[in-house]
Amino acid sequence: MAEHPHSSDYPALAEAIIGFVHYARREGLMVGVQECQEALRTASMGLLQEKSTFAYALRAIFCTSPDEAAQFDKLFDLFWGNKKGAIRSRTTYRNQSNIQKKSPGSLVWMGMGQKQEEGKEEEGRNVSGANAVERLRKTDFAKVAEMDSELLEELALQLWKQMSLRLKRRLKASPRQGRIDLRQTIRASISRGGDPIDLRKKRRAPRKQRLAILLDVSGSMDKYSYFLLRFIWSLRAHFEKVEAFIFSTQLIRITDFLDHRNLERTLGMLSLQAHNWSSGTKIGECLKTFNEQFARQALSGQPITIILSDGLDTGEPELLAAELGNIKRRARKLIWLNPLKGMQGYEPTARGMQAALPAIDTFRSAHNLDSLLELEKYLWHV
Amino acid sequence: MSNNAPGLEAIKARFDELGYVVDEELATILFLMLRLGKPLLLEGNPGVGKTEVANVLAAFLDTELIRLQCYEGLDVHSAVYEWNYQKQLLSIKIQENSGRSEAEKEHHIFGEGFLLKRPLLQSITGEKPPVLLIDEIDRADEEFEAFLLELLSAFQISIPELGTIKASNRPLVILTSNRTRELSDALKRRCLYHWVNFPDMEKELQIVRKHLPGIEQALARNLVQMVQLLRNKKLDKTPGIAETLDWARGLEALGYKTLEKEGVEKSLGCLLKSAGDIEKIRSEGVGNLLAEVENG
Repeated sequence: MAEHPHSSDYPALAEAIIGFVHYARREGLMVGVQECQEALRTASMGLLQEKSTFAYALRAIFCTSPDEAAQFDKLFDLFWGNKKGAIRSRTTYRNQSNIQKKSPGSLVWMGMGQKQEEGKEEEGRNVSGANAVERLRKTDFAKVAEMDSELLEELALQLWKQMSLRLKRRLKASPRQGRIDLRQTIRASISRGGDPIDLRKKRRAPRKQRLAILLDVSGSMDKYSYFLLRFIWSLRAHFEKVEAFIFSTQLIRITDFLDHRNLERTLGMLSLQAHNWSSGTKIGECLKTFNEQFARQALSGQPITIILSDGLDTGEPELLAAELGNIKRRARKLIWLNPLKGMQGYEPTARGMQAALPAIDTFRSAHNLDSLLELEKYLWHV
Repeated sequence: MSNNAPGLEAIKARFDELGYVVDEELATILFLMLRLGKPLLLEGNPGVGKTEVANVLAAFLDTELIRLQCYEGLDVHSAVYEWNYQKQLLSIKIQENSGRSEAEKEHHIFGEGFLLKRPLLQSITGEKPPVLLIDEIDRADEEFEAFLLELLSAFQISIPELGTIKASNRPLVILTSNRTRELSDALKRRCLYHWVNFPDMEKELQIVRKHLPGIEQALARNLVQMVQLLRNKKLDKTPGIAETLDWARGLEALGYKTLEKEGVEKSLGCLLKSAGDIEKIRSEGVGNLLAEVENG
């Protein structure tokens, strides 16, 4: 880090505090005039005897997240610490693995810290952490470096879990009461001598949220299906009902395997099932199997249907178009996620994709974490 | 706000008496909260004792605790006020032949007696400033958050029929969040912020001893070590402090004086609340975990 101001540069305490506020603001903390005033008041309250107490107080005023708190600690040490070396941070933000789970921000830089040579980049870590998350979220699944893939997986599971939790809450029967049901209210008023004492309300019937997912596991999708399968698994945990299938040259129903709460076991059992992973694709024929054997059950209750495939089909495009049409008639919404769409300059020119487009409601990319998280919008507004 | 707010040492001592182990940092922040009169936002994993802070604070200040549990779809009617519709109707019926004018009747039925006060209104109309706990604010929708923001800045609520009700006393507000979504910056900036960690070994041991004064020292130490160990594993539901205490009580009730394999296996359900987690720990072997605890 370049030159930074230090408390000893200022003639008096009040000036030093203001100096610190400016420093913190310059380093990206949201510290406004009000916070500054509060910091000054804090100083007048006798919280200064102990440096740690002063740090706690200012941290509560300046920060709004664990990430910011970690950054604050660093700035505080630099500004108020001994001029030469920084005091070691007292807080345990870095050591508690539980925070990993909750805060994606700290998650990555903690992991990064373990992988790098210890202690070398003490200072820069936090900053690179925030960037690393951003970077990972935007990284194409196919281009994830070996080293990052574990981090990405953890980050992904975490974010997906949050997403499906939010979706689940929204889709539950809303406890908000509906409009007054006049007919029922008048009817109920008969027993009260004609006065509408008891208001009857109309509630929207709770809608069971269903999802059908078809994942392409052919060779061309290899790098993506690793993550996409995990994505499906995490959706499964929070939806009313998820019917899931994988296909390449054959279609396999994997709904039952997803029931396991243990992801690794699910994946293990799946790999036993699939003999033809990572070979060619016959999307049309697989969808035909789907329509013939499974659609009645999987598409009951008009689920949202998601197809995850790059559309590189070796079968007949006409068949694909026809079968997609069949699915569309029974699904509430048909979403096609194509990892290739994330590439610059991609046009859906593959024959399969061309044939598919007319039947699709939503055509989106699925090449990185952010693009999958955006799906939340589409699953919600149905 | 007030200059007669209790000092830092008083907070620590009294919280301790009330059975809450408060560390230096939280004590400082509570002190600050009382002095500045700002709301306090507590974030952290479930089961780290966020809600308990509000309970103990209310006991500490010897005042009422008003709690608003947030959920998706929480609206003004259940959070602020509602008119008692049935009572209003009956009142109209009763007054039918009283000869009062229309305006008088209307004035009557929109009086305070017909108002059902919900937590937020209650909290600003009390005699003594209460502690207002807004629990799990991350579950409420964004619109509600915006409404709350208004309340927290002005401490007044307008009711069209009655006019504006200004806070007679400003409540002490504690918000908690499990961080399932980011709260708005505006709300966060209104508040003091504190991230509540799982307690470290020493602190958790203190908590266990505080709640179970009769517990065997060796048992207490080992079981806390075990919990700390489990928190570092990737579990579905990381055990919180309540689980530790449940477990300690369970082991005590079963008559164990030390932490042993049989006892742990029997009582694992007190600590781990998901079938997957229990299975995971069983398959890793309780014996191995105990050995890890032994070796520190």
